[in-house]
Amino acid sequence: MTSMNTAERLAAIRGGAKPKRHNARTIAALTRNPGCARRAVLDCAGIDKQRLAAYVDFPARFGQSQFAIARGNAFEAQVKADGAAELLTLLRERLGLSIPEVAYDDLASVTGREQESPEVRYARTRTLLIRAATGAGDAGTLFDHPLLRINVAGQPVYLEPDLIAFQAGGRFHVVEIKSFAIVDGQADAGKVSSAAIQSAVYVLAMRELLAEAGFDPEIVSHDVVLVCPRDFSNRPTAVLVDVRKQLAVLRRQLGRMTRIDELLAALPPDLSFDLAPDAAGVPTRDPAAIVTALRAIDARYTPDCLAVCELAYFCRHEARGCTAALGPATREALGGIDRVETALALAHDVLPPAEEQAEAAALLQAAARLRAEALAGAPA
Amino acid sequence: MAEPVEVLERRIDALRAAVRRSVVAGDTARARALRAELRAAERAWDEAIANLAEATAPKPEPVATRAVPARPVTPLLPVREQVHDALTLLTVPAAPKLIADVHEAFFGTGGLAAGRLTHLRRDERRSYETARRARPYYLCSALTAEYLTPARGLFAVSTWPLERRIVGPLSPRVHFLTAAVRIAERAARLPRVSAAVTRLLWRFATNIPGAAAPGQLPATVDTRVIIEAAGDELEVHIEADRAQRAAAADRARRQLDDVAQLFGHTLDRVRGTKTA
Repeated sequence: MTSMNTAERLAAIRGGAKPKRHNARTIAALTRNPGCARRAVLDCAGIDKQRLAAYVDFPARFGQSQFAIARGNAFEAQVKADGAAELLTLLRERLGLSIPEVAYDDLASVTGREQESPEVRYARTRTLLIRAATGAGDAGTLFDHPLLRINVAGQPVYLEPDLIAFQAGGRFHVVEIKSFAIVDGQADAGKVSSAAIQSAVYVLAMRELLAEAGFDPEIVSHDVVLVCPRDFSNRPTAVLVDVRKQLAVLRRQLGRMTRIDELLAALPPDLSFDLAPDAAGVPTRDPAAIVTALRAIDARYTPDCLAVCELAYFCRHEARGCTAALGPATREALGGIDRVETALALAHDVLPPAEEQAEAAALLQAAARLRAEALAGAPA
Repeated sequence: MAEPVEVLERRIDALRAAVRRSVVAGDTARARALRAELRAAERAWDEAIANLAEATAPKPEPVATRAVPARPVTPLLPVREQVHDALTLLTVPAAPKLIADVHEAFFGTGGLAAGRLTHLRRDERRSYETARRARPYYLCSALTAEYLTPARGLFAVSTWPLERRIVGPLSPRVHFLTAAVRIAERAARLPRVSAAVTRLLWRFATNIPGAAAPGQLPATVDTRVIIEAAGDELEVHIEADRAQRAAAADRARRQLDDVAQLFGHTLDRVRGTKTA
């Protein structure tokens, strides 16, 4: 009953627009800043944050480049072409997949993406994966585009599929195809870690699916197969990435996320981000009203947000002058001092520090002195 | 025939107006999306015009074309015949990319871009529905064994037996290996192997166990080794695959009408139900 009300409430907040689907990328981003109520509410309601940000004049200079997307898609298509021939070669070489295991099931929609509800597709994924887990004769090996489900803040969200699940000997692996290169066995650490976190989302969702059906969740391996172009060529290579650490982080963050019902309860009842588009689709709602609505939900801006959230520029503007906006290190060093002006005043000793600010004030004054000395002392 | 073009023209006008409105309203996100739509519509219009030109060009009966060899400009074969040639060589359902590559490698000129095949199947279906069996063959869909729906992106030929037009879980691999054998056989008969053929052979060789030695160069690819290696792996899968496809074909014969047997079940009424 409560969840029905929550769903209605979220729909009201979203307005008339179609909800945006989650994917592993957005869930991974969500766990980066679990304390941000604004992001939690907007994401749960499936609001198009990119459009919203553009509408309130803080367009996100964020998002994947068109070229990167095209490159990623081309590489993925190449690896999956001809019954995933290249992928099979890699799995045979790296994981010792036996020759008879070549079955390829495409779980993408049967009737076309728009017509089919995620529930139907999820049910189909479930049927096939469970059949594979029971190890029947025609269990299947590769499952392309499975649709998975995961609980975020008390709401089930469907993950737009972007992976292959692969089963051999009753054990599942998640295969993630990425287009950044592995050169000489080395790849960009940041990209690998974000790929690992996204794969961990899939591992977690698959484990939930199988656990619900009464299987041991551990049959989904914590080793993820990462397929990337090798060196400077277009030939794929595969490595196993252990995502145990990411799984633990993810599980903790998802568990810690405030339940969305509680967040909604604290918000004004008439809150809505409906852009009220007219017949031609041009929004008619006053941007100022949207800004007011946004302000009604608490945000927790950190510099990290710039890389993962479409609304980051809005939040940064809003948080200007707060010491917290300078990053977690600054926030910790300046405990008890909320505003940058206060910090400056304390540093220049024009404001007597309150008792709890004394420690930070001493640090600030020392820093100000050092800076003054460094600037005054001409280079020798 | 001209109707879609007119519809597109109206749509382009409407989109232009919408772009203007959203620019005025300062909604940059929407304006960008609309512009993308507009570009897509304009591309579709270009394509439609090209098709129109193709359709209105003198297209006499096939016999007549062949009978008049002396033409100043050699006319390109229609897309459907190019696709048919490639599929006949492969003998198995194939994706546009492979069809285009095979055509380029063995039938030259490279006039067949994978993107041009987008509307082909729909046009073929329409043509079949208006006048059944008026043409010697139709390019149709491969059917999924599970739901008998059109398999995404796979082309087949209507004259093939139903079993061959069905795709089960093992079929993608069987198709791949069969295609490798056919292409290698054809390449072995060529007097001179072109770069495009080598490239194609190499793509198959590297993904079949035992077909290419480690460290081997693409130029030294051996068609006999490919045929042998592919044949060895085919033996492993072929029986299971054939059984699955035969079962699905029986089902298709019982449940589907003529058109659906060629172009696939649309699942309008039985959406989400399992037929297996």
